[in-house]
Amino acid sequence: MEFTAYQIITPLAGFLAIAYAWNLVFKQKKTLWEAILWTVFWGGIVAIAIYPDSLDYLTQITGIKDRENAVLVTTIGVLLFIVFYLIVRIEALEQRQTRVIRKLALKDLDKKSGRN
Amino acid sequence: MKIIAVIPAYNEGRRVGNVVADVKKYVDEIIVVDDGSTDDTADFAKKAGAIVLQHIENCGAGAATMTGIDAARVLGAQIIITLDADEQHSSDDIPALLEPIKSDTVDIAFANRFGRRNRIPFIRRLFNGLGNVITFAATGKWVSDSQCGFKAFGPKAVGQVDLRMSGYEFCTEIVRESAQHRWRTTDIPAKVIYSEYTLAKGQSFSNGIRTALKILLRSFLR
Repeated sequence: MEFTAYQIITPLAGFLAIAYAWNLVFKQKKTLWEAILWTVFWGGIVAIAIYPDSLDYLTQITGIKDRENAVLVTTIGVLLFIVFYLIVRIEALEQRQTRVIRKLALKDLDKKSGRN
Repeated sequence: MKIIAVIPAYNEGRRVGNVVADVKKYVDEIIVVDDGSTDDTADFAKKAGAIVLQHIENCGAGAATMTGIDAARVLGAQIIITLDADEQHSSDDIPALLEPIKSDTVDIAFANRFGRRNRIPFIRRLFNGLGNVITFAATGKWVSDSQCGFKAFGPKAVGQVDLRMSGYEFCTEIVRESAQHRWRTTDIPAKVIYSEYTLAKGQSFSNGIRTALKILLRSFLR
């Protein structure tokens, strides 16, 4: 069986993501349930990468077979990744803003209760 | 045991004073977190005898609750009660929520608005049911009324709770925390009073969808 670069890189990335999730479980930063969901998600991606034939039914439905379409689908994938990255960044910024506002409110409590 | 009530409030000037006055007899201190209100919520809460903390901008019920919990810890709380500022909860249910905490049989008591006969509109029942299902999908733990803001935290939960979600998703996050830290939990049937105001103020469908997506995204990204 001959593997493409994609079929080697994707399982490695998937393995790293799964290992990262379980590492967080051992550090008690992630619940067992979340790690299972994460494992199922990445396991699915790895399975599709290694056995692309499992998506044959999709090509039957959509008819994506030629190179042009493959480029299009890849571009959509990249764009989706960028959107995902931006959502994560916005979430992080929102959380930072909330932390600042909460700290200001608590500073007020410290003043009221005579703590510094 | 020092009991402190935490009440997150946003534009509840007409109601928060009554809530504080009702809750007073069951707790040692009351903290109202004014979440960037544009009305006189803070003034009414202060007049009613609460300690008031103010967010300079509206951050959401989750952020306000966590600010209140942090403040309660600073003030030495061993038990924390959280409840809404819109008069939908009955303070008479507080002793029932506190009982299993005081007897050290649970670490967190969830009020259950569906555990007794309450007049709850069908659409509310449906949305809360969906909230329960999403919460179960995200946390693996079933709670009969996961989206209710009325809860009692025991000493272990007070020490460990750490909410990062700012909006209404925090209710799901509390269930997640209870699963992660293996808190002993219970449901206590509680009264709910839906007024025209409360119903009008409730979450819209689009808000519910946004909340659900945030829950799933956050639980995935953690």
